[in-house]
Amino acid sequence: MAVVFILLCYFQISLALHYSDKFTEELVLKPLVQDQIYAHFQFTTIWDVDARSRDCNELHISLTAGLWKYETWGYPILDSAPGAEVWVWFKDDTKDIDTNWKQLTNSLSGLLCASLNQIDNTNSINPDISFAPTGIVSNKVNSSFVRYSTLPREIVCTENLTPWKKLLPCDSKLGLATLLNAGPIHNTRYHSLSIHLRPICRNAECDLSSIELTQSVDLVYDFTILGTRNWSLRKLFGQGIMNSCPLAESSTIYVEVTNNDTNIFHLSPTPDEYLLSTRGGFSGQFAKYIIKERAMTISASYSDNQMYTVNIPPPLHANQYKIGYGQQKGGLVTKIYNNHWAAIDVVVLQNLPWYIPIYLHTLKINSNGTPMKPLKLIYKPGKMREKAHSLELVLRLPAKSTTSIKFYFDYVFLKWQEYPPDANHGFYIGSAIISGHLPLGRNYTGIPQDGSTYASSFNASRKSYFVQIRTEPIVITLPTPDFSMPYNVICLACTVVALAFGPLHNITTKRLVLKINSDNLLTKLKKFGKALFCSKKI
Amino acid sequence: MKSHLFIYGLAIFVRVFLIYSDYREDIADRIEISTPLNSFNRILESYYRMSIGVDPYSSDVLHESPLHLHFYKHLIENTGQYLPLVFVFCDVLTAYLLYLFAKKYIFHLRIEQYVNMNLYLKHLKDQMLKVTDNEAIPLYVTVMYLFNPYIIFNCVACTTTTFLNLCLATFLYGICSGSVIIGSVSLAIATLQSLYPVILISALYLSILKYQKSMLKAVMSVVLCISLLAVFIFSSYCLMKSWNFIPQTYGFILQVSDQQPNIGIYWYFFMEMFEHFKELFIYSYQINVTILYFIPLTIKFRKDPILLGVCFIMLTGIFKSYPSIGDFGFSLALLPVMKYMYNCMQQIFVSIVAIITTTTLAPILWNLWIYWGSANANFFFGTTLAFITAHIFILTDVSFAHSKHDYLLKYGNDRTINGQPAKLVLG
Repeated sequence: MAVVFILLCYFQISLALHYSDKFTEELVLKPLVQDQIYAHFQFTTIWDVDARSRDCNELHISLTAGLWKYETWGYPILDSAPGAEVWVWFKDDTKDIDTNWKQLTNSLSGLLCASLNQIDNTNSINPDISFAPTGIVSNKVNSSFVRYSTLPREIVCTENLTPWKKLLPCDSKLGLATLLNAGPIHNTRYHSLSIHLRPICRNAECDLSSIELTQSVDLVYDFTILGTRNWSLRKLFGQGIMNSCPLAESSTIYVEVTNNDTNIFHLSPTPDEYLLSTRGGFSGQFAKYIIKERAMTISASYSDNQMYTVNIPPPLHANQYKIGYGQQKGGLVTKIYNNHWAAIDVVVLQNLPWYIPIYLHTLKINSNGTPMKPLKLIYKPGKMREKAHSLELVLRLPAKSTTSIKFYFDYVFLKWQEYPPDANHGFYIGSAIISGHLPLGRNYTGIPQDGSTYASSFNASRKSYFVQIRTEPIVITLPTPDFSMPYNVICLACTVVALAFGPLHNITTKRLVLKINSDNLLTKLKKFGKALFCSKKI
Repeated sequence: MKSHLFIYGLAIFVRVFLIYSDYREDIADRIEISTPLNSFNRILESYYRMSIGVDPYSSDVLHESPLHLHFYKHLIENTGQYLPLVFVFCDVLTAYLLYLFAKKYIFHLRIEQYVNMNLYLKHLKDQMLKVTDNEAIPLYVTVMYLFNPYIIFNCVACTTTTFLNLCLATFLYGICSGSVIIGSVSLAIATLQSLYPVILISALYLSILKYQKSMLKAVMSVVLCISLLAVFIFSSYCLMKSWNFIPQTYGFILQVSDQQPNIGIYWYFFMEMFEHFKELFIYSYQINVTILYFIPLTIKFRKDPILLGVCFIMLTGIFKSYPSIGDFGFSLALLPVMKYMYNCMQQIFVSIVAIITTTTLAPILWNLWIYWGSANANFFFGTTLAFITAHIFILTDVSFAHSKHDYLLKYGNDRTINGQPAKLVLG
């Protein structure tokens, strides 16, 4: 119950209380290589309340449809796995984490109308090193307080968007949120809703903490779906902006114009400002629009002669696939590409449901064809019908290399009532998560850990850039029994048991005797016939 | 002697040839051979998990006792790539022990028949064991064991059933020679490994009583066996420092929680079972294999405890929760010692034909279901059902033939009462 209270606190009640708060809304539009455009909405609220009185420290939820293509699109501003994904850091003094986790996911399920209530211990893991807290921590980090779970099969739809929008201060009536219309949003190649909650420092000394709530929507539009390359807010979102949200401290739109010299488009109206951001050795240019209290739209028109640019993949990307045929023995391969000229250390997290019992001794890691040993291996075995398996590997990826991680597993046979309604659709294995620190800022768009808004990522050069990339989820088709057979099987198997029981019972309870061979079938029939005949006569 | 050497040599050659051929992996992956209980892959996995500090009993990978796990660990560490040869050696040793057992058993039977000679009818002397059987039957048993494809594949797949068979062969030899130590130690180890052999305890008691003619020793053997088992389990606890191996070993065997198909009937039965009836059926099935026949068969075969042991081995082989063909191969290898009552068996031919047919059909239907997707689980289940039924027929035939043979020797082949045709029935 405490958890429900927290959520209510965070999302609604706090606004009414006399805490000081700050709300900013941002929209980032970034043309991607070839015919896509990436739109990122970010609504950030910072409450100056002490975060220490709550049960959970951090909360991250995302609901995603489609797969982010790292190889061509670069890195998104916020990563999320296909389907639903939740990860939470509980407070250090939380007593019963599993119960709290169950309660939390149940209340989130109600809040977002998603199947998050299906999350329990059978599909949750607590990884040791993959998920570090993103906000401030008061004590030493103890990874037993983190829980992570995905539901790769979850379908994201308007029913999730509507409650999500209601969490915004201006709802969807004013400001950037008016652009979030269900129709155009779901007509994209990738769309992701997310909520992130974390404690941050209120001031430079960090003696006080605040709570930061980030709500974001990530969309990737395809020009082929739009029908034209010349985009505008109206074409992308169905309408322009009518008004700004009066509660917002700032509402801005950024359009990335870095590649405008090769991929020429003209923006109208003219931006309020052009910003140059140099980050990690790579610079980008942005056009900035400040939303005022009047209707506006932005449109871009491309010049007729289209130029094709060479796609340079980001330094680190990965994919995952299944090997083997039939339904007896399979293997899972995760391939990680390091395109950088130096070695990169990464943590690979494999999150496997209980029905994928892996043979860890078959684990083989190859880098450019040569066997490799992980720097660290943390394996938390799952248990049938109780707990999911998790495997974390710390790897040092050599420069310019392709590393493959391969292991085998058995196909499990479930009880007939454990199969989902469409049993032959298959079972999902969640994405593998690869976390690492990049030494350079190429393709990097993320917000720095010390910042809250997208604006804080301008000129934010740091020692390294943290990325967390998700691979494809995998579907495996477990062998199925014949679902119409239970009665037959029970009857047949019991008959066979009776075939043993009958004779053994006879042998052990009776002795062999000679009996006069009188009542065989023929004589019985004769007797019966006689009896019939006699009765008629009478 | 020469023929023996040839047999053993050929058997070793066949096994080593298959082990080092490309077929080994395919053989080891067959579900008829490797079950969750005896698969060698799982032993390797547990060994690996132990080496990285993960408790092998915290997951569902291993279902054998910690003592056995440590034994396998030493095997893996000390033999390296020659590990499969240990299995070959065990298999050959099992065959030799079975040979010794059969020899002893036939010897005992012949003495018994000699003692009871005056009870038997004169003209039925040819029904009795002959001098030549002294050598021939043990040889048949050896051949039946060493060249039984079930046993060969079982050995090539390096399943732990090989060790169970070794224990059971030692046990049979032990009780046949009236040895308290061999009998109880091997029975305790076999029970520690797979639980079901515990019902052989009555065979142990009766045979010690019969061959040692001492009640004290018989009781001692039972007490020794039980206390050894307790010591083994307690030392397992000391090794693992927790009791969580119990639900993963004996709990797993009794609850049948992994539905991986095998050639038994449990897998599909519990896969298709309604959840609220599961408990009832698990109880009835486990009672069926352990307690139900324990007392009746013990009383019935009290005069021939070896036959009682053989029947129990067959029975547990058929009805254990995860049977593999290694278990069936072992019970089939024991059939030649029943050669003297073959003419009283009625279904042996039909059963053997059914076994051969289902053994060939099972892999085909399995492939059709799992790899080609053109058949479904029912096809494979059908063959396993027929396979089990054939084995049940052999078991009931053996127990029936025992009474019949006894009757035959005493009262002859005459089937008339006062000149009227009569029938031999159980009544």
